[in-house]
Amino acid sequence: MPDIEIRLTVNGRKFARRCAPHLRLLDFVREELHLTGNKEGCGAGECGTCSMFVNGVLHKSCLLPVAKAQDAEIVTVEGLAREDELTILQRAFHKAGASQCGYCIPGMVMAATATLRRNPHADLEEIKEGLGGNICRCTGYQKIFAAVELARDVMNGALPATALEEETYRGSYIGASVRRLDAPSKVSGALRYAADMTMPNMLHMQVLRSPMPHARIAALDVSEAATMAGVETVLTCNDVPGVDNYGVFIDDQPVMARGVVRYVGEGIAAVVAENPLIARAALAKIKVRFEELPAVFDAEEAMQPGAPQLHDAYPGNVCKHTKIRKGDVERGFAESDLIVEETYETQAIEHAYLEPEAGLAYLDADGTVTVQAPDQNITHHRHMLARILNRPINTVRLIMSPVGGGFGGKEDMLYQGMLALAAIKTRRPVRYVFTREESFIASAKRHPFRIRYRMGLRKDGRILATSMYMIADGGAYAMSGPGVMNKAAILGAGPYAIPNVRMDAICVYTNNTPAGAMRSFGAFQSEFSTEAHLDLCAEKLGMDPIELRRVNAMRDGAITHTQAQLGSVSLLRTIEAAAQAARWAPGEPHRQTRGEQRPDLGGNDTRKPCTLGARLARITTPANTVGSASERKAVQT
Amino acid sequence: MKRRGRGVACCWYGIARTAAVDRAGAWVELDDGGTVKVTTGVTEIGEGILTTLCQIAAEEMGVRPKDVTLGDNDTARAPEAAHAGATRQTYIIGNAVASACRDARDKFIKEMAQHWNVPGELIDTRAGEVWVRGRDLRMSMAEAVDVLKKQHGIVIVGSGSYTSLHTPLDPETGRGEPWQSYVFGTQIIEVEVDTDTGEVQVLGVWAAHDVGRAVNPQGVEGQIEGAVVMALGQALMEDFTLKDGRTTTPGFAKYILPTSLDVPQVNSIIIEDRDPKTPLGVKGIGEPAMVPTAPAIINAIYDAVGVRITRLPATPERVLEALRAKRANEADIAL
Repeated sequence: MPDIEIRLTVNGRKFARRCAPHLRLLDFVREELHLTGNKEGCGAGECGTCSMFVNGVLHKSCLLPVAKAQDAEIVTVEGLAREDELTILQRAFHKAGASQCGYCIPGMVMAATATLRRNPHADLEEIKEGLGGNICRCTGYQKIFAAVELARDVMNGALPATALEEETYRGSYIGASVRRLDAPSKVSGALRYAADMTMPNMLHMQVLRSPMPHARIAALDVSEAATMAGVETVLTCNDVPGVDNYGVFIDDQPVMARGVVRYVGEGIAAVVAENPLIARAALAKIKVRFEELPAVFDAEEAMQPGAPQLHDAYPGNVCKHTKIRKGDVERGFAESDLIVEETYETQAIEHAYLEPEAGLAYLDADGTVTVQAPDQNITHHRHMLARILNRPINTVRLIMSPVGGGFGGKEDMLYQGMLALAAIKTRRPVRYVFTREESFIASAKRHPFRIRYRMGLRKDGRILATSMYMIADGGAYAMSGPGVMNKAAILGAGPYAIPNVRMDAICVYTNNTPAGAMRSFGAFQSEFSTEAHLDLCAEKLGMDPIELRRVNAMRDGAITHTQAQLGSVSLLRTIEAAAQAARWAPGEPHRQTRGEQRPDLGGNDTRKPCTLGARLARITTPANTVGSASERKAVQT
Repeated sequence: MKRRGRGVACCWYGIARTAAVDRAGAWVELDDGGTVKVTTGVTEIGEGILTTLCQIAAEEMGVRPKDVTLGDNDTARAPEAAHAGATRQTYIIGNAVASACRDARDKFIKEMAQHWNVPGELIDTRAGEVWVRGRDLRMSMAEAVDVLKKQHGIVIVGSGSYTSLHTPLDPETGRGEPWQSYVFGTQIIEVEVDTDTGEVQVLGVWAAHDVGRAVNPQGVEGQIEGAVVMALGQALMEDFTLKDGRTTTPGFAKYILPTSLDVPQVNSIIIEDRDPKTPLGVKGIGEPAMVPTAPAIINAIYDAVGVRITRLPATPERVLEALRAKRANEADIAL
């Protein structure tokens, strides 16, 4: 299709450009005008980080073909602040600590601006609705709400402008809520993430990913793709000069599939071309002949004799088994008044950092290969890359680009090897930006666990024995799995003094998407089961669940399940602090349905539940809107 | 019908890498204008570690946080500080930066003592100034740097590193000391369950967490609030599902995340049980804050409507199914 002529105004400046007709407004602004403040998070209008004003109306610019913006007035996040002076709202975000990784923040700032333009007196509920189309994965939204309310109050004169300024600190800087030093660059869109970076002569990479969960690659022919106009090179495992086997605890992963694919989404070949469009077209020209292998998708089935085997070095598919044996659990159970058993299951989840994986690789003048990417671990990634590339380690350089959310998901190395190879082979800078869908299928998830729980207790609530048998689905590669098993086993029985403990945490290879590092790393799953189980035990014992925890809590000098001695133990302090703040009314679980009187529910420190149609009712009586705003303030003071 | 309930859950967590060597290094220079240049391979992933380290460096060197410039995360330029994970950065890298600053400050004090011809013990630095206690001798850090560089030819640089003690685990019994420092926490959560739709709304969270020492309380709150909401997602809605190895939730339209309308009011209570084993007394918060939320929600659902969800997430479908099973069971008992 021929190029189209686009005329529009962006941030007050008129532009006329010829561009490809498939561009979205977001591409036009980011790639043609180099205004990279607004980001792409999902490309599907779900996350909101690309939100811009089009003729004064908030739009998700990833959904808008640029031709639809012909003659329109566009305002991006760069257009909000005049002459380096941040807006009141942007300063409020800074003051309130509303930005963390910052990737969602340009869109949040745009949505919040739209909300307060629509109603300068918007109450908290209306603010929440105004931000409802924008996802933030870091902040839990609380400080963002606080920032918008602060800005609203300053704009309305309810608070002085000095409310936006940094507090003066007396005494130690340690313990002071010093405003985040990187926040101005995040609220203004000035901070450049990997996908915002460009270099002269830069090429673009795209990756062919496996459609098969388990298959032998009988033939791989990249010749047609490699000779396409605009294609610089096509990489396969044959291009890896060093040891093509890496990992965190177990070296089991190739840079690109080597003869076999073990999960849907595994990289097979990488095309490096003049632009992403050509690279994607070339992917379609790569010919792969798969011979399907039997696959296994359930961790317990994968442990059975005769199950498909994923890695020769790990027959039975068990890649890690962490054991803890303390005391004599069978005796503990025999001496118990009550034995409670249950099975718990936790699911795989996606990290869903707002910034999809991206990176830029190039050769420094001295030949050092440099990879700039949102890596959570440049130290280890460099170790692995030096081995993969077969280079002295000081000729491999990793620079962390600003990380748009990680949560462990950017700790397990995934694509940096391909990028480095591409830069070395082409001697040009190469950029690779994942789509959201690609991030979903290719990147590691949280390990799903199945936990068989057995706990023995005395009538007075003392736990005498805990046994946890945990099976985790590690997916196709070990990644951080062995470490996750360690933490699950060590911490799983909880912060309780238990004389007899038996823990088994077993990580199993399957043909599912690999599981890897994720925030709370095995402790989330194992401690979930313990804390849910204690509630069940409290009910059976007729005890208050906090009392059951007090009875068993580790105290100063406690011996842990791995038989280490602790120093100071703050558990009881946290229990008392939470119980006091929440006005905990003691009682055994399941009180509500027994019709007990509850003085504890619905306090000022809870939010109001959402009720369908509630705002429609309020809109018809506008006086109420003002009323609820002041009501809200009364609650806060 | 809508019913409310409350649940409680506790957590504990080890700080830094598990049963393995953990370490970080940092370099410090007292630079022109009385500023401080800190270089360390730290990984800011949004938690605010850069600000935290600037506060630590400012406090240790006697300048203001805005006087600190941080060079970070380039393997060719900065000393190793390893990864953003294991709730380790404030703990390992914070203490490494503190120790590098102490090294630089000791050298600075020694040189100033010589310059002023006073005992070093009498010299103080704070907020960009250096002075001698009980004497009329003082100058700005900017002047002091100038004097040391131009009159004495001295550039003040320091370095430091930090590691935490551990022993490996016995492969058969698990016996060992995986960490030297632990944190603890408790969360209480209030929910409302709609017995007609199975929908669970989380209305209030009271989260009390020991962090050792809160370098930046606003940042600590931010970590707790973000962790609670991420765990709320796993407890109630998020589910990466596969069918024969192919995902059925390939994007945000199918993979449901908490939005501004799903989140509770989070009330954070920061407990400081300083860690005597480290120079700063700090521990960490990033991961532990996520641990108690899901079980506290599940326990609150039970308190509200009497059904135990043992399989995450507690979607409306699963809650309804459990309510149906409970009613059927009660009807059986009644008969």
